[in-house]
Amino acid sequence: MAAALGTSVRALRSPSRAEPLRKKKKVDPKKDQAVKDRLKKRIRRLEKASQELIPIEDFITPVKFLDEARHRPHMELLFEEGERRALLLKKWSLYKQREHEMERDATRSMLEAQQEALQELRLTSPELHEAATKRDPSLFPFERKGPDYTPPVSNYQPPEGRYHDITKVYTQVEFKR
Amino acid sequence: MAAPVRRPLLGVARDWRRFEGLWASGLGSRSLALAAAPSSSGSPWRLLGALCLQRPPLVSKPLTPLQEEMAALLQQVEIERSLYSDHELRALSEAQRLAKKKADPYDEEDDERKILLVQDLEDAWEQKFLQFKPGARITADKKNDRTSLQRKLDRNLVLLVKEKLGDQDVWVLPQAEWQPGETLRGTAERTLATLSENNMEAKFLGNAPCGHYKFKFPQAMRTESILGAKVFFFKALLLTGDVSQARKKDSHVWVSKEELGDYLKPKYLAQVRRFLLDL
Repeated sequence: MAAALGTSVRALRSPSRAEPLRKKKKVDPKKDQAVKDRLKKRIRRLEKASQELIPIEDFITPVKFLDEARHRPHMELLFEEGERRALLLKKWSLYKQREHEMERDATRSMLEAQQEALQELRLTSPELHEAATKRDPSLFPFERKGPDYTPPVSNYQPPEGRYHDITKVYTQVEFKR
Repeated sequence: MAAPVRRPLLGVARDWRRFEGLWASGLGSRSLALAAAPSSSGSPWRLLGALCLQRPPLVSKPLTPLQEEMAALLQQVEIERSLYSDHELRALSEAQRLAKKKADPYDEEDDERKILLVQDLEDAWEQKFLQFKPGARITADKKNDRTSLQRKLDRNLVLLVKEKLGDQDVWVLPQAEWQPGETLRGTAERTLATLSENNMEAKFLGNAPCGHYKFKFPQAMRTESILGAKVFFFKALLLTGDVSQARKKDSHVWVSKEELGDYLKPKYLAQVRRFLLDL
């Protein structure tokens, strides 16, 4: 009996013929794998669903402007007024055409003058010509403020007060694998 | 200016300059009061780098009558096609309420409360607007001072300087003789520095010249090696600063494109006008 017990105890202790312990070895990796798979499936489903795009606020008409009371009464245009408008538009298109031609001629003459100068420079000295035709990295980014209606006032006191910025800032969340 | 190099030819050139008479203005040629530096070997032309310094406009041009009419028409059409704004709706509803009150003067609606009428709001805004004093669009034009940078705020102004050549004074764009070892744009930058003594800041528009002017010296000036000179113009936009006060009065002028004809010689003027943009 002791010998039988002894053999069974030995069987219990030695790992090759022992019962599987069922504690952490086989099923836990399986469980972990299953959890990971479920998460990946969820991530894939979220990715497949189209991303929420940032709304362009200018393209969405606010609801308060759909009110009927906002429409102006429709005024019939007088005949003379219509004629005056048509003639003015014709004069304007002619004026703009002339302005465009002038601008085009001015740019063309500037380009021609520059090409001639570069040609002359090439005849004068090749290395100066090469230096002139190199790119200028300090030119861009080029920023300049355009003309206003009135020049700046030298001793202007701006009104006191705080500036609360209430612009809505949207962020787009990216789902990366 | 370039340091004078001792050479018999240049000594001769300097002596010849003393015998200059009046130039034929038809030639459009000028001699140079600059001390001579050796030109590039073999070439009979001297090289000069010139600076076309422009002050961009600060103020927009006044509208022509046609533009004013068109602007008025566009404004009218925009109002016709628009919806009523909140302010206008409020004005309409108040007008209706006032009309109703006039019809039934005994109907006491809410007379105790003091209501801010649209008219009061508009008056308050008008008052506030009148309190603001904008800058004057026309400043130095009243005195017609051509050396001031504040004249003709709505035009591009170019800097001209008076160079003394022999007997004559000639108006040119500021220029300097090219020295070996620098690019032509470097010459233009050097001109800028000497003019203003490092007070002016300008943005150069690229490495390439925008125009050139080639002229021959009159017979009196020509030597075996020097036939004439070539001037290459470089454009720059003035950012800050002004010509230094140390210069003599009446030796520099800021002019717009129409007034160039008052100062420059005809052939020089023809070349310069090609690359100056008239607004």
